[in-house]
Amino acid sequence: MDKDKTSQLPRRTTRSSTSSPTSTSNNVIAPKVNSLEPLTINDLLVGGDPISLDDIISDFPGRRSQILEIVRLLGPLNSPMLPLFVYGGSSTGKTSIILQLFRHLNRPLIYSSCRTCYNQGILFESILNQLFLHRKNAANAYANAKRCERPSDFVNFLREALTNVIINLKEKSEKLVSNKMTQGKIGNMIYLMFDNFHLVREWDKSSTIVPLLFNLYDMLKMPEVGLIFISSTSPDTFYSNMGYVEPIPIYFPDYTEGDIRQILLRNQVNPKLYSSFLDVALKSFYGITKQVGDLSAALKPLYEKYCEPLSDKGKGVAPNQEMRRRLLAHINPHIGPALNEIFKVSSPSSIEVETRKEEKRKGNPGRLEQCEELGSLDFHMSTSAKYLLISAFLASRNPATLDASLFDSKGGSDNRKRKRKPSEKSMERKETLEEELLMKGPGTFPLERLLAIFQCLVSVAEDEEEPNNDGFGVEGGNGGLMSDVLLQLSSLCNANFIFKGRSCPIEGSTRYRSTISEDLALKVARSLKFPLSKYLYRS
Amino acid sequence: MEPENHKTKAVNVLRSRICDPKFIFNNDNPDSNYSKLKFMISSSVTEACNNSILLLGPRGSGKNAVLELVIQDLLQEYPDSISVIRLNGLLHSDDISAFKEIARQLCMEHQLLFSKAASFDDNSQFMVAILKECGLAHKTVIFVLDEFDLFAQGKQRLLYSLLDAMQSIASQAVVLGISCRLDADQLLEKRVRSRFSHRKLLFLPPSMEDSQKLLMHMLTLPIDSSFPHDYAVEFNSKVQNIIEDRKFKETLERYLNVDSCVKHLLRFLFCAVSHMDLQTGFLCQENFEIAFSSIQRQPKLECLRNCSNLELHILVCMKRLEVKEQSLCNFNSVMKEYKSMHDSFRTSEYYSRNVCLRAFEHLMHREMICFTDNRGQSLSIEFRPVKLLISSAELYQGLRAYNSCPAYLLKLMDREG
Repeated sequence: MDKDKTSQLPRRTTRSSTSSPTSTSNNVIAPKVNSLEPLTINDLLVGGDPISLDDIISDFPGRRSQILEIVRLLGPLNSPMLPLFVYGGSSTGKTSIILQLFRHLNRPLIYSSCRTCYNQGILFESILNQLFLHRKNAANAYANAKRCERPSDFVNFLREALTNVIINLKEKSEKLVSNKMTQGKIGNMIYLMFDNFHLVREWDKSSTIVPLLFNLYDMLKMPEVGLIFISSTSPDTFYSNMGYVEPIPIYFPDYTEGDIRQILLRNQVNPKLYSSFLDVALKSFYGITKQVGDLSAALKPLYEKYCEPLSDKGKGVAPNQEMRRRLLAHINPHIGPALNEIFKVSSPSSIEVETRKEEKRKGNPGRLEQCEELGSLDFHMSTSAKYLLISAFLASRNPATLDASLFDSKGGSDNRKRKRKPSEKSMERKETLEEELLMKGPGTFPLERLLAIFQCLVSVAEDEEEPNNDGFGVEGGNGGLMSDVLLQLSSLCNANFIFKGRSCPIEGSTRYRSTISEDLALKVARSLKFPLSKYLYRS
Repeated sequence: MEPENHKTKAVNVLRSRICDPKFIFNNDNPDSNYSKLKFMISSSVTEACNNSILLLGPRGSGKNAVLELVIQDLLQEYPDSISVIRLNGLLHSDDISAFKEIARQLCMEHQLLFSKAASFDDNSQFMVAILKECGLAHKTVIFVLDEFDLFAQGKQRLLYSLLDAMQSIASQAVVLGISCRLDADQLLEKRVRSRFSHRKLLFLPPSMEDSQKLLMHMLTLPIDSSFPHDYAVEFNSKVQNIIEDRKFKETLERYLNVDSCVKHLLRFLFCAVSHMDLQTGFLCQENFEIAFSSIQRQPKLECLRNCSNLELHILVCMKRLEVKEQSLCNFNSVMKEYKSMHDSFRTSEYYSRNVCLRAFEHLMHREMICFTDNRGQSLSIEFRPVKLLISSAELYQGLRAYNSCPAYLLKLMDREG
């Protein structure tokens, strides 16, 4: 059988390197490249210091039954295993527990995540690289061990690689037996782990690859291979037309309130103070979300506020009853607003912004902050881009039939003449229809409508500004403004403020949709001093 | 690492038995599929004729295992007269890769050089040539087509060329199709079906008595020198007691009512054996009970237990919208319903829109709700219509079972207003 040659990519040469092949700088770089040693079978182990099962159980509070169950299902050394399917919510410890267990059991493991290997070719090649103990380096031009796109090639290569590894492991264990050593046994079995398996359903060829991976155990017919799937959705979300023998499910429930307390109390400087804080704050936050990451991020700033009245920020202080009451009174008003901020990740702001905020807060807390938030726009846009954004928002928001009356030569909706007063019932019906229209989301509009509204708005603005300055875009007349506008439109589309739909051959031109919220539009209009509310249909 | 004592060895032996299909399906009964299949293939080998057989049965009933046993036996009986080519419908359903794989396996068998650059025509001509050669040398080529129904999709070129090559006098081939679809032969085209000899072997799931016999067979330790004699005898008697116990029979029947295939039973057995207490070294009733409860799961109810209060509120809002038969259900309408719920019930907790949006996204990740259309990518998440993936009965049951669920949520689910 022909051997598959890894493709040698032709190396590009620069003028300097071809002109002076023996320059000293190249020689300095060369020795560094070959310093990594080739991989051995021991590199398939998880590595790290040996760890006992009790350590693992104490490291992961609330997971005792799951850990023991997985250990039992993995079984003693050299005993074959049916595929396992581990599932549970996110950040419940599935991946870390299994990796720690393999560290404890000291058995070889091939880990591949379906998040970093985002399609089937990359997944196959990553697994084969690990099995062939292949390291990508400059010597092989950073190529993979085998080029593998199709499942049929993958299964063939996998079989070959697994038999090699298993022979290797057998030799190793026989050597240990012959040398009468009892330590260092890693067994004859090799385990493949597929992390983030729920992402595979969204891949291109998911209808073939999901049954393929589930049936892999039966296809290979090798009892020395164990398969472990880790997913954050339950096995019933993988059902498809193609069947498979279901793997054994192991469920990781979310942490209970007591477990979260234990987790958050670890690594705390002052556990007693923190636990009295958790007595106050945890229950209400637990009602919103049960995930550990969200909770710890949200409770951190609140805890700092809790410690504020204590001297020395509460280090080494064990609170008694009276102090607890005082702290509770201090923190209570802040819990409510903090609950609404729970999912916001605040970026650390610069010192000037902080001092400015402090001054403002001392003056008039609460109300002023809101106004300040409403008024300022976080990013910079040119004036024409702002007008274009507002026109897009209006075009999406208002139905097209209103354009004529809203954007007449006077500008503004004050001059609408009402023919007659509509009846109560039809007004109610109209209101519910209008509300439904709002709920459905922003509508689409063609390019001509956007340009028409834009021209109207700009002319209104120019009329107002004419006495003050020269206005903008007057130099080239309207023709110069148009090309500028199309460029602005494409940059707004790239920034995802406006969504560009596909062009339909029947309807003709492409349709656009504005994706900004009303708050942002109001901010933009305020920065331009543009009366947006007058033009809104049912503000 | 502790020294391997007989208890651990017992667990190992039982687990390897469960994972080894050959142990399970070894059956010399003349009525069994094993004997029938062996007779069919060996007769076509000895009489030098062509044959095609379909093995049909639900997934996990041992079709592949029995076939492997038969092939192993035949390879021992007629060492030089058989070569086996294995194809799988999941991997080789398109004709190009199928022929490539056939050529590769034929090359491996006959120690020829395989070129990866060979074209489809080259490969198919090669296959026909090899079949002729094998026929002249009185060697039978057995083609095993796993997941046969996947080969029957598309143009069925592979099936046609295989069955057509078998029609010539010179060739000696047996084509075995394995499929879980009982109507796999109906999927064949007319010209393919006419060349197919309609032999089918049905693999039916075992009856209750057969399952019990299988359990006894699997769990009985061998009384020979590999285990201490007393331990093995006691182990076997305990196993016998458990299997004949009435409660165990009921549990087993309940489990097998869902799916009575052999593989399903084996999963259950694997869990039970893994939970065997290594201190005592004997199986007991609780092992089977634990295995039963850990394999039979209700994922949606478990997911409901994981939801926080706010997420439950959102689910109940969506349910109420469904009951009210509102056509549009997206995040905005859910928020409106949430607000009206809060107004009418004066609950203390009312969270802002951002918080509710994130809880909404969490529910999406858990697959309790999903978008109704996959194409509406242009709308942002607040406007896209969503639907519930959990039925109202399950939602009700889950809320009732949930201890810390606020009582008014249940009332809200009952009432329509």
